[in-house]
Order: sequence, then C-alpha cells, then structure tokens
Amino acid sequence: MNRRHFLRLSVSAAAALAMIGCGRSESLRVGVHPWIGYEPLFLAEEFGWLADSVKLVKGQAATDSMDGLLTGELDAAALTLDEVIRVYAEGVPLRVVAVTDVSVGADMMMVKPGITSLSGLRGRSIGVELAGVSGVLLFSILEHAGLESHEVTLVDLPVNRHLDAWQRGEIDASICYEPVASSLAKVGGTRLFDSSDLPETIFDVLVVTEAAARNRAAAVRDLVQAHFRGLRHVVRSMHDAVYRIATRQAIHPDLVRRALATIMLPELAANQRYLARRGQLEAVARRLAEILVREGLISSAPEYDRLCDPSFLPRSLR
Amino acid sequence: MTPLRLRHGLLAILLLMGVWQSVLPVAAQVRDEVTLGVFAYRPEPVIRERYAPLADYLSQESGVQVRLEVLTQEELTRSLAANRVDFFLTNPSHFLLIRSERSLTGVLATVIRSWNGQSTGSIGGVILARQERDDINTLKDLRNKSIATPGVHYLGGYQTQALELLDAGLDIQRGNRIVRLGNHDRVVKAVLAGDADVGFVRTGIYEDLFRESPGLAGELKVINRQELRGYPFVLSTRLYPEWPLVSLPHVDSRVVRRIASALFALEPEHPAARAAELSGFSPPADYQSVEELARRLRVAPYDQVPRVTWLDVLNQYRYWVAAVAVLVILLAMTSLWLGRKKRQLVVEERRQRTLIASWPQPMLMLREGVLIDCNRAAVDLVRYSSESSLLGKSLTAFSPFVQPGGTPSMQKAESLLAKVMRGEVVQSEWLFVRSDGSEVWVDMTLAPVQEPGSGAPSVLCAWYDISRRKNAEERQRLALRVFENAREAIFITDAHGAIIDINDAYTNITGFERDQAVGSMPPMPLDEGSSILVVAREHGVWSGEFASGRQSGEAVVLNLTLSSVFDESGALSHFVGVFSDITRLKDTERKLRTMAHYDALTGLPNRVLFSDRLQQSMAQARRQNYSLAVLYIDLDQFKPVNDAFGHGAGDALLVEVSRRMRATLREEDTLARLGGDEFSAIVVNIAGEAALQQLLFRLLEAIAEPAWVADHSVEVSASIGYTLYPQASELDGDQLLRQADQAMYRAKRAGKNRYCKFSDAVS
Repeated sequence: MNRRHFLRLSVSAAAALAMIGCGRSESLRVGVHPWIGYEPLFLAEEFGWLADSVKLVKGQAATDSMDGLLTGELDAAALTLDEVIRVYAEGVPLRVVAVTDVSVGADMMMVKPGITSLSGLRGRSIGVELAGVSGVLLFSILEHAGLESHEVTLVDLPVNRHLDAWQRGEIDASICYEPVASSLAKVGGTRLFDSSDLPETIFDVLVVTEAAARNRAAAVRDLVQAHFRGLRHVVRSMHDAVYRIATRQAIHPDLVRRALATIMLPELAANQRYLARRGQLEAVARRLAEILVREGLISSAPEYDRLCDPSFLPRSLR
Repeated sequence: MTPLRLRHGLLAILLLMGVWQSVLPVAAQVRDEVTLGVFAYRPEPVIRERYAPLADYLSQESGVQVRLEVLTQEELTRSLAANRVDFFLTNPSHFLLIRSERSLTGVLATVIRSWNGQSTGSIGGVILARQERDDINTLKDLRNKSIATPGVHYLGGYQTQALELLDAGLDIQRGNRIVRLGNHDRVVKAVLAGDADVGFVRTGIYEDLFRESPGLAGELKVINRQELRGYPFVLSTRLYPEWPLVSLPHVDSRVVRRIASALFALEPEHPAARAAELSGFSPPADYQSVEELARRLRVAPYDQVPRVTWLDVLNQYRYWVAAVAVLVILLAMTSLWLGRKKRQLVVEERRQRTLIASWPQPMLMLREGVLIDCNRAAVDLVRYSSESSLLGKSLTAFSPFVQPGGTPSMQKAESLLAKVMRGEVVQSEWLFVRSDGSEVWVDMTLAPVQEPGSGAPSVLCAWYDISRRKNAEERQRLALRVFENAREAIFITDAHGAIIDINDAYTNITGFERDQAVGSMPPMPLDEGSSILVVAREHGVWSGEFASGRQSGEAVVLNLTLSSVFDESGALSHFVGVFSDITRLKDTERKLRTMAHYDALTGLPNRVLFSDRLQQSMAQARRQNYSLAVLYIDLDQFKPVNDAFGHGAGDALLVEVSRRMRATLREEDTLARLGGDEFSAIVVNIAGEAALQQLLFRLLEAIAEPAWVADHSVEVSASIGYTLYPQASELDGDQLLRQADQAMYRAKRAGKNRYCKFSDAVS
C-alpha cells in the first residue's frame, strides 16, 4: 500500500510538473465512465454541445477516473461522493461543482437465487469495487443486516468484471449498477437491496481539482454547462435520449427507461440547494468520511473548508 | 371599457356554445356515433385500410359507433373548425398547430408503433437520396439541393430533418428549393424519379415501401443514418414522441373515458393493432420537445413572432418607461439649461475678455511672478510688438535695475508680490523701461485673485500711466524751488491785487514777513498806484522802476515786472510780480550821471551839461521872448596860488570861488566849470543890460574877496566876458560861448578884474 501510494504521489508530481510546462492550452480532461447519471455529458458530446475546452476521457469504471485524478492525468471527473472523499483523502484537493444524480435504487446488490434475505449473506462471497461507491453501499448493507465485514468474503473487483466472476462462481453476490445489474439479472441474479433503501446518500457529482477550479474557471463552467444541456435533452427529448443511451450502453431502450427511474436528476435550482454551504452534500460527505475512516478505507478524513462550489453553475440554460 | 365589454361579449358566446355543445353529445349519444379523423400521411386508401379495423375495434369496445374519416391536413383542419370530428389522430406538429388554434384539446394517448416485433413510441425523420447520387452523403451535401417533402407541417416529413440540418449549419428554409407533395409516397416517387435531389419522409415509410415494392432495395440510401439500438426503423434525425390521439372538448366525458380505456386495452396481437401496425397506445407523451423544435425552426404555430407593439412595451414597462422618460426629460432640461448657461458663460467670458483686452488701462495677470496674460494697452504701454513678447517674463524684465528711490527692481517686486500673496492689495509707483529705451512711470496696483482649482493664486496687475503727472510734479517742484530760491522777490496776487503768496526774497527786500504780506497789496509806484494793475491786465504786463519804502521806512527803489495770469476761460485770475531791489543800482547810476555832467571838484555842471543847459535856455528864451547872457569867467593870477600853496590849496580856492559865484547868481541861472580856472554861466531872463552889469559887478566883488586857503588868505580876481542872446543873426550855443570867450580875452587884455561885452566891431 505504501509503495503504491508513493508511486501515485510521484506520478502525480511528475504530471503536475508537466502541466505547468505545457498544460495551459490543453482542454480540461474529464474522467467519465458508463453510468446513467453521467449520460447527459455523453449526450452533450454527441450533439456537439461540449466546448473545445473540455475533453471527455472515457474509462471503464470509477477507479479509472480516481486514478486519473491522483496521477494528475485528469483535471475533473464524474464520481460518487464517497469516491471524491477517497481521492481527497489521498492528497488531491477537489471541489464538487455539480450534482449529476442522486441514486434512488440505481446502486444495488444482486444475489444468486439461493439468497433471499440480507442475513443469507453470511459466509457468502460478495463482489464489490471497494474503491468505489459500491464499498459504501456494501458497508451500509452490512450495517443494515447486522453483519460485520469479516463475516462475509469480500472480493474486491471492478464492476465490469462482476459478470465473469459470477459466471465462474467466484462470487455469490455483487454490488453493482446498470448495465451490469441487468446482465446479472439475465443470468439469474435477483435484486436484494438497492440505494432507494438509503435515500439521499449516494450522490454522483462532477468534481474538478482545486487547481483547475482556480486556473481554468471558464473550462469548468463549460463542463457544467454541457452537463445541464445534456440533462435538458434527457428530460425534454426522452424519446430520443433513451435510444441514444441504449445504443451507447448496448442495452435495450426499456432498460434505459428503467435505469432512469432509479436516479433523480437534479436540475439547476436543486443543484444550488445541494451545493450550498452546510447543504445536504457536505453533511453526507462528512458521514461518508466517518464510515470510510472506520472501515479503514481511508486513513483520515480529508480536511477542507468547503467541498462544494456552486459558483460554476450557469444562471440559466441557453 | 371596450375590451371589457368585448370580453363580456365573448363570454356570452362561449356560454351559448357551451349550451349548444352540451346538447351535441346528447345527440351523438342518441346517434351513438363519433368521428375519428385520421390524418392521411400516406395515400387515403392505404390509411383507410389500416385504420378501419381500429375504428371497428373502438366501436365494439366502447359501445359507441366510431366512424373513420381519413383526411388531409387541410381537410382535418376544416372539419375541426366545423366540429365535425370528435377524435383525431395526427402527427405531433400538426397537433401543435391545431392546439394553438383551439387551445382546448387533450391528448388521450400516444401511438406505439411496432415493426418486426419491436415497438416504439418515438418518431423521427429520414433523409432519402438515390443510391447513385455520390455527391450526397452527409448533411452538408444537402446545400442547394432540391428537397421533396410531404409538407412543412409534417414532423417526420420535414421538421426533424430541418432541425438536424439547422444544427449542421444549413438553413433549408432559406437556402433550398422545397417541393411540397402532400404525402410521403409522392416524396419517395419524386426522389426515385429524380425530380428532387433528396426526400424527407417520416420513420417507417422507408420500411413500408420496401415491404410493398422489394424491387426498390438498393435504389435509395439514407443520409445521416442514426444507428440506435432498439429502434426498429432507419433514421436520420433525433427522435420525438409518436402521434397523439386527441379528443375534442365537446365530446362527452363518458365517451372519452370509454374510448380511452378501449385504446389502452388494445393489445399488440389484436388484429386491429396489427392492421394499423401498432402495438398499442401509451399514456400521453410529453410533446415539449416538439414545441421546442417548432420554436427553433420558427414553423407554425411558432412561425409568427408576436409583434411587440409600443403599447405592449409601454404596458409591460410603464413604470420603467415613465421613470426613464422623466430622467430623459430631466436630462434634456438639464442639458438645455447647462447649454444655455454655457453659452451665457461663453458670451460673458468673451465680453469680459473683450472688455479687458480693449480696456484702455493696461491690465495683466501674473502667476508665480511671471506674466500669464495681458491686454493690448499693456503691450502698447511698454511698446512691445505683441502680447506673446510679454508673456512668460517677470516685471523686472522691463524695469531698470534700480527703481527711483534706490531699491533694486527685483527686490521691490518681490516684496510687493509677497504682500499680495498674504492677501493684501498693494499699490506702488513703478518705473518701466520701454522696448525703445524710454522710461514710463506707472501707478501699479497688485491684487490677489484666488482662482478655484489652481494651486498658486494669480495676481491681477493694473498699470496707470502717471508719466505726465510725474513730469508735472517735477516741473512744479522745480518752479517751487525757483520761486523759493530766487534772489528776486516774487509775489502772487489774486485778481484784485491782494497778495496770496510771496517768496523769501520778498521778505528780504521789503522786510514784510509772509503773514504780514499775504492779504495786503504789493509795493507799487506812489504816483501810479494800483493803476499798474489795470495796465498789466490790459497789456499782460507792466514793468517799471519806482521808489518804495521798506517796513523800517528805509527808502528802496524797486524794479517791478507785473504779469497777469489768465485761467483756462481767459479770465484774469492772478497777477505775478517779480521785483528786485535796485536802490544801490540807482545810486550808482546817479553817481555815474553826476560824474558825466558835473565837475568833481566843485560840483558845478561841466562843459557837457553846460552845453545842454545852454541849448535848453536858448530854446526857452526864444519861446518866452526874453534875453539871456552867456558869461565866460577866467580867474586871474590863479597859477601863482597854485604854485605857491600847492594844488590842494588851488582846489580849495576854486571850490570857494565857485561857492561865492553860485551864491551870487540866481537859482535859475547856471554856473559851470569848463576846466582849470575857467568858468562859464548862463544868466536867463535878463531884465536889462544894467541889471546884468550890476550882477557882473557883484560877481567880480565876490571873487575878489580874500579867501582862506591853506592857512593863508589869498586874493584872486576874475576877467568876465559876456554876450547876449538873441542877437540879430541866429547863433548856436558854441558860437555864443566863443563870443563870451573872446569878450573875456578883451577884459583880460583890458587889465583884468573887469567885465567886457562881446562886440563884433572889436573883432
């Protein structure tokens, strides 16, 4: 762990140096991975609403974006709030500039047919991307079920590899989200628990590094603007958006509709409210930080004056 | 009032309509028939064939007879206007148009189409071109191409494509030839026939066509094809909600409910659904995206941007407008006021400038000791060519090094300016040297001028040319000095001769002090008195010498010149008299005269005076017709006295003899000493020869009396010759004297101490 930590730090230092040298004119690099809540950004890119100052760097899972932030390859990312805290705890100051969605059932636990209740999890192996939001969900589920983490077998696995592991019998349960959840459902998985059981806890947000927020405010504003334009297309032209999301995620449009039902997409006014000083987001962030520290996923809670910054939100949409 | 009344009118009509409409459904219920209008997006028989089973299904399920009417957009619009349609099915764009016209329409359900087992509630547009058109591959290639479309109110047949093209930078509403063909089949035909470069059709048409005429495969291609997973049709654009089925408000709500439940109950497997190629109906979709599209394209019902009139603006922003108007008016008034003030100021300033510039008195402005402004008069005073040759210089630049009074100009100027800086107004006489070297005296006034906004105060400087006054003063001072220091006495009187002023010499000569003299009359000749004033007045001047008295009573002779002084009007104002004491001069003159006419020893007239007196006496004798005698007297034995006792004794003897002879002669007679011991006398007014001879005898006696000279008694005698006048012939004085001389010689020869008369006979 120490070694890995050291490596990360040295890489990020090198990247920071490189950025000082030539990064100024480059576009804001934003890490994104497939997730229904981040679809507005993909739509914005598809319709050409993404300014030249912003470049989407597409990863497979949240860890890609987190690593990118830690190494300094990325200036911004779409992440869950707990992921933000982890990155912050590892020494990269971040600012939350927008809430893309709030999970109301999007993150879930899929289990093999034999498991019918939370207590049935005892002794089973659970596939989970501990470094991602899934970890928080898992610990919350265990808390709910009255289980300690050592009473189950945790298999730390990126979510895109859960299907394989499931089919090979390596895991009996998976903490996942769409589209993996649907894939697991196809092979017999059932939903045991989801984030709708933990209301307003799992936030997906757009974060930018402190440096980007300071030095590249215009690009950050472009990024936030693009998200909201994409979001408007999802809301107003859902007939179109559903097919486009389905095409990108390679799933049936009906599944997209179902997935959209599992998240709340807060619009501008709601964002202002969430990002306000001492608002919902900062309260949740503190609680998540406590859980993460308790479970030893981070060494200490990040220290900051303010995590959220609503100043990049557009006044209105063009 | 009018709009209100109108509104009431409208309300009344609406109420009437409501009554009428509430009757209609009853009629419909009685007839048990409603009309379903379906928009014929394809040829009418095709649509009728497809939708007739649906109408039958609805009739059967709802218990209400549903009559199908297949209509073009225009026909549908007309039927709606006549309320001949109760339900209608049309494309979303057309629905928006109708809704905007009627306001009161409700979407019951949205169509879900199916194709090859896949269903969708979304509609989009397809852009078709013939396969061999290599020049048309992307959206950009549509520039300037002709476009076939069923009509502009078709969502999938025109508007979706138009928006994609607009986003790609092509405004086909402006840049392309659009051919409206009424339905989709004609569009495809037109493209195939080459009548149009591209054709716009809605999704599903393309698939229909291939099913109906499989031969067409390969002849057409789709531009900007969107590969959307799960969407059953080929597509060139983004997607929008499918057709709505709309109920009109006049339809009875029970009928609407029945129809709606029948619609939602329609299963995909139902023959009616299969015939219409539907998989059923879903709850109404959100047609917001279609509205958005119409707004962006500016097509009906959003083709007309509401004309915002001035009244609307006024109404909306009346407080702002009022406030702005008030502000503008205030601004305008302020501007006008300021403008007028400014003009006034300019005029005022120009007038003042002109006034100062043309003011005959030199005026200047100084700052920090240096001239910054001046007028023409100042330039003229110092005889410079222009103002600019003065500006920037200090006062000392045209002043002598030292001012009269001994202070250096620079020092004096500095002290003056220092006073002014303390706020005082100072006045000083100043001597300037002109450019030509001449000097000019000015009375300089310096006053501080505090100009707001400028640091150091300016100094206003005014010059007053006092050269003439200075010169006059100088002359006056000189005159006074002359007056005071003159050796001649000078007095000034008023017009009546009373003294106003005197100088010291006056006191010296007359002995009168000033206060004694002032008010009294000046010394005047006794005989003429104040008449000299009259002379002086008439002739301007009187001069003369006369005797006067000093205060002490001592006699003094004065030589006075009295001049009259006239004022500007020519009236006599003063007399000025100048006199000198010529007493001693007169003495000397008298002495000189005496020396010329009298003998210094005896004081008797000499030969010159004698001749003079003789002439006068002869003239008098002639006039008064009396006789005179000329006597020639020569002392006998005088030389021995002279030799024996010296000249002093001789002189004393001569004086004594003279005295005795003078005493013997009458006052009016003249005795003169001709020289040595020779005397001559004129005896006038002779009463007769006897009297004369008696006189001659007494003379001889008087002379012969012994005389005491030099302590000695000496005796002399005299020989006298005489002649008378007039005589027969006219004689002059010299001849008379010669006659007397000859007669004297005869007396000498006759023995001395005797007298002898001239006689021609003797000679």
